[in-house]
Amino acid sequence: MKIGQKYAARAASNDDNMVPLINVVFLMLVFFMVAGQIKKADPIAVIPPNSVNDTRAATDPNVEIVVGAGSVLYVDDELKTVENVQAYLEGAFESSDDKNGFWVQIKADGAIPLEELRPIFNQVRLAGLTKVSLATQLERGHE
Amino acid sequence: MPLNLSQPKRKNAISLTPLIDVVFILLLFFMLTSSFVPWRIVDTPLSVPSADEKPAEEKENIILTLKQNDGQVWVEDRAVNLADQPYFQTFIADYNEGTFVIKAEEGVTLQTLMNLADRLKLNGAENVSIANAFSMPEAQ
Repeated sequence: MKIGQKYAARAASNDDNMVPLINVVFLMLVFFMVAGQIKKADPIAVIPPNSVNDTRAATDPNVEIVVGAGSVLYVDDELKTVENVQAYLEGAFESSDDKNGFWVQIKADGAIPLEELRPIFNQVRLAGLTKVSLATQLERGHE
Repeated sequence: MPLNLSQPKRKNAISLTPLIDVVFILLLFFMLTSSFVPWRIVDTPLSVPSADEKPAEEKENIILTLKQNDGQVWVEDRAVNLADQPYFQTFIADYNEGTFVIKAEEGVTLQTLMNLADRLKLNGAENVSIANAFSMPEAQ
């Protein structure tokens, strides 16, 4: 049949058969562009504690402290010891434009004991900062 | 003599292969950099001793102590299971005027603390303070 011959010839000669592939790839691209948020990866993998709390941060944190297992401490992506946190926070606060809105976010792993967090909170308190928030993740399928 | 410059007729469609290359690279970039973790924040305001702070606490503090990660909390020298829904409902209804202050002993994990805070909030507690759990023992 004439139509059948025509289609067979076209499929062999160009890349029309790529069109469905491109459709799918475009859909995936649009999905990841729209649904995903591009942000800096944490220096270490941290699984925040689950919570029913649904408060989102209105602004980006001025200082981000990431605490992993074994008291590994990263302040704004730099490996630090607990003793240096106070000086760093004071410096960051001094150079901040919005001193009233200055807040510190602590991303800690849900499995680490609280006594490992106490020295860090103590350093924040010694630096004279009061706005501190803990990162949690929204619990799925609970309650 | 006129030159016959007309090119042989070519296919109009452009090749799709370079397009797919670029789209694949874009797709890989977005797949690797996207973050889907729904981060939320819990405010833990720290109190800094200052001269103009009100010294007298008008509200009563109800202290809950976590000793282990065993799903139990100590309230007034009594161990209560976190799953004990009726207890928490009556307990919170009785004391909701005050602030529920959570303290924690050594070894208690952050997740255990958040579980208790969740339990209190889900049962209607209005003032829950978790900041005490992060205070140094000598400051408590």
